Amino acid sequence: MMTRGEAPADGPYAVLFEPVEVGPVTLRNRFYATPQCSGFGADRPHAQAYHRAMKAAGGFAVVHTEWCAIHPEADEWPAVTGRLWDEDDARNLGLMVEMVHAEGALAGVQLGFNGAHSENLETRRPARGITQVPSNTFHFHSCYEMTEAEIVELQGFYVEAALRAREVGFDVINVCANENAGIPLQFLMRAYNRRDDRYGGPFENRARFLLELLERLRGALGDSCALTVRLAVETHHDGDLGMRPEHEARRVIEMADDLVDLWDLEVTGRSMAEWGESAGPSRFHREGYQLAAVEKARSATAKPVVNVGRFVHPEAMVDAVRRGVIDLVGMARPGIADPFLPTKIRENRVDEIRECIGCNICISRYEQKATIVCTQNATIGEEYRRGWNPERFEPAADADRDVLVIGAGPAGMECALVLARRGMRRVHLVDRERELGGHLRWVTQLPGLGEWARVVDYRKIALAKLRNATFVPGTELSAADVLEYGAELVVVANGSSWARDGLNGFDHAPIRGADASLPHVLVPEQVMVEGKPVPDGPVLVYDCEGYYMAASLAERLAREGREVTFVTPFAEVAPYMDYTLEAIGMNRLLRGLGVALVPQHRVAEVAAGAVRGHHVHDEAADVEWPVAATVLCTQRVSDAHLFRTLEADPEGLEQAGIEGLYRIGDCFVPRIAAESVFEGHRLGREIDSPDPSEPLGFPRERLLV
Amino acid sequence: MTVLVAIKAVATVDEEFELADDGLDVAPEFVERELNEWDSYAVEAALRLRESGALDEEIVLVTVGDEDAEEALRAGLAMGADRAVRVWDDSLPGVLGPLAAARLLAAVAAEMSPSLVLCGAQSADAAYGATGVALAAYLKLPHAAVVRELSYSADAIEVTRELEGGLLQRLRLRTPAVLTVQTGINEPRYATLRAIKQAEAKELDLTDPASLGVAIGDLPEAVLDRVYVPAVEGAAEMLEGTPDEVAARIAEVVEREMAA
Repeated sequence: MMTRGEAPADGPYAVLFEPVEVGPVTLRNRFYATPQCSGFGADRPHAQAYHRAMKAAGGFAVVHTEWCAIHPEADEWPAVTGRLWDEDDARNLGLMVEMVHAEGALAGVQLGFNGAHSENLETRRPARGITQVPSNTFHFHSCYEMTEAEIVELQGFYVEAALRAREVGFDVINVCANENAGIPLQFLMRAYNRRDDRYGGPFENRARFLLELLERLRGALGDSCALTVRLAVETHHDGDLGMRPEHEARRVIEMADDLVDLWDLEVTGRSMAEWGESAGPSRFHREGYQLAAVEKARSATAKPVVNVGRFVHPEAMVDAVRRGVIDLVGMARPGIADPFLPTKIRENRVDEIRECIGCNICISRYEQKATIVCTQNATIGEEYRRGWNPERFEPAADADRDVLVIGAGPAGMECALVLARRGMRRVHLVDRERELGGHLRWVTQLPGLGEWARVVDYRKIALAKLRNATFVPGTELSAADVLEYGAELVVVANGSSWARDGLNGFDHAPIRGADASLPHVLVPEQVMVEGKPVPDGPVLVYDCEGYYMAASLAERLAREGREVTFVTPFAEVAPYMDYTLEAIGMNRLLRGLGVALVPQHRVAEVAAGAVRGHHVHDEAADVEWPVAATVLCTQRVSDAHLFRTLEADPEGLEQAGIEGLYRIGDCFVPRIAAESVFEGHRLGREIDSPDPSEPLGFPRERLLV
Repeated sequence: MTVLVAIKAVATVDEEFELADDGLDVAPEFVERELNEWDSYAVEAALRLRESGALDEEIVLVTVGDEDAEEALRAGLAMGADRAVRVWDDSLPGVLGPLAAARLLAAVAAEMSPSLVLCGAQSADAAYGATGVALAAYLKLPHAAVVRELSYSADAIEVTRELEGGLLQRLRLRTPAVLTVQTGINEPRYATLRAIKQAEAKELDLTDPASLGVAIGDLPEAVLDRVYVPAVEGAAEMLEGTPDEVAARIAEVVEREMAA
């Protein structure tokens, strides 16, 4: 066996394991874990350290923190971000450095100061900015315009934060000039910089802040750390308002190249809210989608270049390196879905990689001011508090038991996989359908969601390798069948169905006339699975859920040439997609397809030929939509009958020798797939706990009085 | 009376494997054994005949194989067969040819006088497609191979076979008879966990060629010389580089080969 990080002697991926010199430090291979939110900041040092160290254990050469505020004027609370305000913050991040080093990797930290984009909700300090213009991302929030003295003082904040980071052992100091966030980037862009002093106006002046900053950082750090810049080379602004790879980006790279050890180049959107262009969801962006822009700027530097782009296929990585576009393969999300991605490539276990599906649920939790989760990797964020390692499974204390898992959706597949890996005697995963996947079998047929099938593919391949796991297709079990089946442990994971009567969370009631047994009323399964025809003519899609289903169905119907009206009581279309950075793109897409978007409206009655409703805040404002068909995406209802029937028959369970009966996933509560996968995983990990239905507790990092 | 189903525990090989030192087989650490897919259809066919009431007889599985073959027998028992017989002697060669296997299976069948013998049409590993046919010859029973439909009555069996060119052939055979069945004749059932557990308690008899009156030395056995990975003929050239470079190289190669 080779040791971690060591290069394979040959093979098609050998180039990925060549060491790369970055200024004074050497990266053991080309796998570069970029700054990534959300982590756990400086306030949860253990969770932070264990989370980041898992990527180091998985073979990454360098592992970064998330964005770390250098000063109380850049306070992102309650968003979970890092802080380097003082020595205590640095000390907390130091645990991460220690653990990353112990796994043979380098530790990087990102220095951030966002100007008007920092709300400073905890510190209540006014934020300094370049020009007094409010944030286009956080409402009703502006900044004060810095004097030249205050600009110099701000550069000093960076230097002090960098020295604090060096003091605790960080090897790579990264300056955030990306995603409209970092103030060095804002200085470069006319969109933010309307100054007419030596820091504004011509490009040389706008670049002055970054150049002076790098000089001061280099002077303070010397050759003790690598100094890197994460720079947006494309910001999609009109004209010369922002960054263009062949203009502003090339110029600043040429001007600063001597001061920088590595450029982390990226593409982003016009506002901070549009960082979905940087962390591109699979709905809109393919693997390696940033390379074309990066390539235009790349030749301006003699230094190593890294770029993200949701790389999961080693062939794509090798190609990008061989073509000379990048020297290091940047990864945030692919390393969340599989922290051991480098190791699996090195050991030629490519089919064991849990490939990122680009759903951006990881990012959704940052946007919701929470900590990280992942649809593919249930262990992410649980490294410390639950002690989970995605590649390690302890033999179960009750491994002599046979398990029946009913339902092969995300929850059932994951639970069966974990239980099989924990060595249960036999695990039978039973589904009424012929194929694994549950609702993902058809959700992945929706436009733009094809990559979500990786959730199924990974588990299908992994289950097929386990001798104690059997997939039993085409079998629907009644409660009596379950009692007869012969398992000691029964896990019900049979999912949920869309309400066929319009029941929804806005009315807390069904909708008059909404009956999916009628030809002109449909629910998603009828459209996608059952082949129920959508009557000819205009279609109304009604969304009370706010995530992908209604929007995707509207897209699909519009692409089929249908006239589509999208009605939702929410203030905007698909608000949950704000969290996943898909909302802006989805709104643009639906508008482009000619879908009539009608937010803030409630449907009161569905009739043949017409749907009637009104404005959510004005019931007198009646609207009638003359449509031939209505697709109801109002809510999902758990298929709870099987579990409840079994639960209500304790004698039957006992006679059948069933010691444990559990429910996971949507049949418990319909949620995002990531929560279903987590729940299946959690039950598998804790199947031998005193009461597996009740999650074990976990340590919370908090101050005790 | 008995319905006899002859099965085989076939070898499945990992994607990457090495050959054994004696060069006669894949090294055992890369091999797993499982119930031959075709044979699972044969077991299912027997179970369905009984469940339909066409015949009400004990269903017995038989195989020739070492201890590692027992898991395949248990799989068939879990599906619903009543008992199993395994024929083995450590002096038998590890890889047994179809005629030798058929000779031993015939000896077991002769002791039972089955009203019907079912086999899979072929094995997934060796793929001779011969064992069932040879078994019929040893037993001097009528047979039909590659059966995709069958119906049974007390004195005759009607079967449908698939021919090349999309033709179907309908045959009637007097019983007892030997049939080898094709996949797709039915949909083999998955055993429940209870059935798997119950199968562990079912009778599994071990017998050997001597007890069956067969001398190992008399078995019609071809001698296996070696198993090997064929040498690659014609050199494969791996093209590396950017897409443009690779495209240019492909164009060169095509031009070169066209000119040759």
